[in-house]
Amino acid sequence: MNVPKQYKFILATLGLIALILGVYKANLLVNTKTTFVADEIYQVTYRYFFKTDTSRTIIRAYLPKNNVRQEITSQKSTLAPTIKFSSYADGTNLRGNWTTEVNNSYESVSYSFSFRGKEQFFGLPENFRPVRKGMEQYLGATKNIQVNAEPIAELARHLKQSTRTDKETIQALFAYVHQIPSAPIITLTDALGALERREASCNGKSRLLAALARHLGYPARIKGGIVLKESNKRTSHAWTEIFINDDWVSFDALNGHFAYLPANYLELYIGDEFLITHTPGIQFDYSYEISKQEFLPMLNENAKGSQQLTAFSLWGLVKNKSISKNNLFLLLMLPLGGLIVALLRTIVGIRTFGVFLPVLIAFALLETGFLTGIVLFLFLILFVGLITRPFDAMGLLHTPKLVISLTLMVLVMALGNYLGLAFDISWLSSLTLFPTIILTISAERFSKLIVEDGFHKATGTLLQTLLAVSVCFLLFSIKGLDIILILFPEVLLLVISTAMLLGRYVGLRWSELIRFRPLLNIKPL
Amino acid sequence: MLRNFFKVENPKGVIGLNRRNIEFIYPNNQRKHYTLADDKVKAKMILHEFGIPCARTYAVIERISQIKSSWSKLQSHTKLVIKPAKGSGGGGIKILSKGRDGTWQSSGKTMTDAQICQHITSIISGLFSMASNDVCLIEECIVPDPFFAEIYNEGVPDFRIITLKEQPLMAMLRMPTSKSDGKANLHQKGVGIGVDMKSGTLTQVYDGKHYSDHHPDNENSVFGKKIPYWFTMLQLAKKTAQAFPLEYLGIDLVIDKIKGPQIMEVNVRPGLGIQLVNKCGLQRSL
Repeated sequence: MNVPKQYKFILATLGLIALILGVYKANLLVNTKTTFVADEIYQVTYRYFFKTDTSRTIIRAYLPKNNVRQEITSQKSTLAPTIKFSSYADGTNLRGNWTTEVNNSYESVSYSFSFRGKEQFFGLPENFRPVRKGMEQYLGATKNIQVNAEPIAELARHLKQSTRTDKETIQALFAYVHQIPSAPIITLTDALGALERREASCNGKSRLLAALARHLGYPARIKGGIVLKESNKRTSHAWTEIFINDDWVSFDALNGHFAYLPANYLELYIGDEFLITHTPGIQFDYSYEISKQEFLPMLNENAKGSQQLTAFSLWGLVKNKSISKNNLFLLLMLPLGGLIVALLRTIVGIRTFGVFLPVLIAFALLETGFLTGIVLFLFLILFVGLITRPFDAMGLLHTPKLVISLTLMVLVMALGNYLGLAFDISWLSSLTLFPTIILTISAERFSKLIVEDGFHKATGTLLQTLLAVSVCFLLFSIKGLDIILILFPEVLLLVISTAMLLGRYVGLRWSELIRFRPLLNIKPL
Repeated sequence: MLRNFFKVENPKGVIGLNRRNIEFIYPNNQRKHYTLADDKVKAKMILHEFGIPCARTYAVIERISQIKSSWSKLQSHTKLVIKPAKGSGGGGIKILSKGRDGTWQSSGKTMTDAQICQHITSIISGLFSMASNDVCLIEECIVPDPFFAEIYNEGVPDFRIITLKEQPLMAMLRMPTSKSDGKANLHQKGVGIGVDMKSGTLTQVYDGKHYSDHHPDNENSVFGKKIPYWFTMLQLAKKTAQAFPLEYLGIDLVIDKIKGPQIMEVNVRPGLGIQLVNKCGLQRSL
């Protein structure tokens, strides 16, 4: 390597800046480290609107609590001074209570909090330990969970018949309830009703599964909550929990989650209850405002140093919603991908169509999936390269011909998209994810290469481009790389210094070691 | 990196594309002057200006509208070459000669005037030059010196001399073969023959894979064969290098039966295969 002096100075400066910033922020990050690493974060607001009664009006609703898989912070209640709010423990549940003495007036209250959730998998053993005492209340019949009703008893016996272990029994019960067609029934459906109507919503299905389990001697209960997603909704959710080896295990027979609770399930209360209750006869309306929050798993936003860390990194851009996390990631990956291609070209000596094409194709692959994407890329290049051949023969000028190629490329993409939509083929409808213009130029160059250097060399270049695409794709798939790049964008300074070194690399490329083999002494070590 | 698995020794001082670009081309050739060499018409103007022998120019056609009139004026010649001014790798070059019946022949096939004009149109449209347009150069056809017939008797062989700061570094003789369609380029199945710079003699034949002592189409040994006009050619190469404001060049020469050595063209990015042909790296030839 032949590096002039002024180079060394620039390299050292860049390295030093990156190092100082990096160490400073890494230190902040260590100090803000959380023990609770969430998978998803949501901001949730309950909103209740009502007209008060002629006497005291009461609204009650369950409030979320912390547990092993959900963390609730920043609870905030907003209300008029005439309304009193209190929260109290109701058994193991937490309940909010809004009371007002004001008569005949329109009021609104809200309660908001931040939810950090983790998904939870439960491993089930083949056979369960015997149920300990004190679980009787989770085995008996209630008004809506008719454990001993004859159709339920018969179904439970029938389902158990062909199973050998406890796990298989639970699987059979779950499968049966899961296959009942789901219907958005707002009114209360009890266990028996769900079975007889052959359709049910979450509350009917959760009760039926609980009734079947209880009949066979497995303690079961209803869990109430909300499935969180970016929306403004009114539906709450209920699922079943079965007590297995001293643990309450989640089963959602509506959404098909067997012994699994997704990260976006907000748990609110235990028991066959209603999320909201209020003084009867009043006008009442409600909604749940839910917004998904972008976040970095490592970064505890509530900790002290996190604001400095946000200010000294690009995370602030995402927090202020000026750019989405994904777009920012793609932007930051561009130089890194470019560096990879530069390394492959100047050190390995592979030939690629363009410098940044492999990087952009790798981006498209992140959306389409690796194999599908590679096949689509090959198809586009070959197809457009070949259908423009007749235009070559016409002896057209270069620039107008490029316009024809571009038009054909856009048409092929649009057609693929249309067909994909019409026949519901998802990989076809992802054609437009590819960088059109660069792809066109490559197709053009490919068809020209075939003429100039023959099909052999042209396909060689194409395959080497695919190799570069694969390497870039592997790089982009590294987990946590997005976090590092967003929190430590100074990594890009190192990209500049690496490129400066690479730009002065005078050694033989690996491909040249093969080419000049007769003149070199190459011995394996 | 590969050096962790292999021990690579480079006793012959072979240079790769990286070193060629950084140490030979960038410091010696300014990009603004590239066009003087890349454009054959401009290159010939410089050669003419300095009185350096090169093929006579019969016509330079810049516009499609000029093709017909220019072509009709060339009918008195019996042999000529049509080439794109900015072509590369020998693309678009056609050697035409008049047959007994007065028709033009190219690679053994008759070409009508319409076909020839079509070819010139393609050249001007930039089909062979990675550009949106080009200029067509029609010049005298070189008749190779009988010396070459002793090795192989088809096509036009040429010498490539690499010069750095006006000093010849390395040279080779490129010859067509029965498989190369009259072209002498190594990557178009021509062969390269090494040249001993000091004595002006041929060394070994390299066909891109193997070394031998004879042209692939016959058994005549080439080793030690004296190259005619060798020192004249070295002088010509030096003179050419002085004429151009470019310090690292690949100069192509041919030897005409009657007129002797002629400059064919000048390259700013000469290929590295010459090292293989001579079994010697450019670094060591410094």
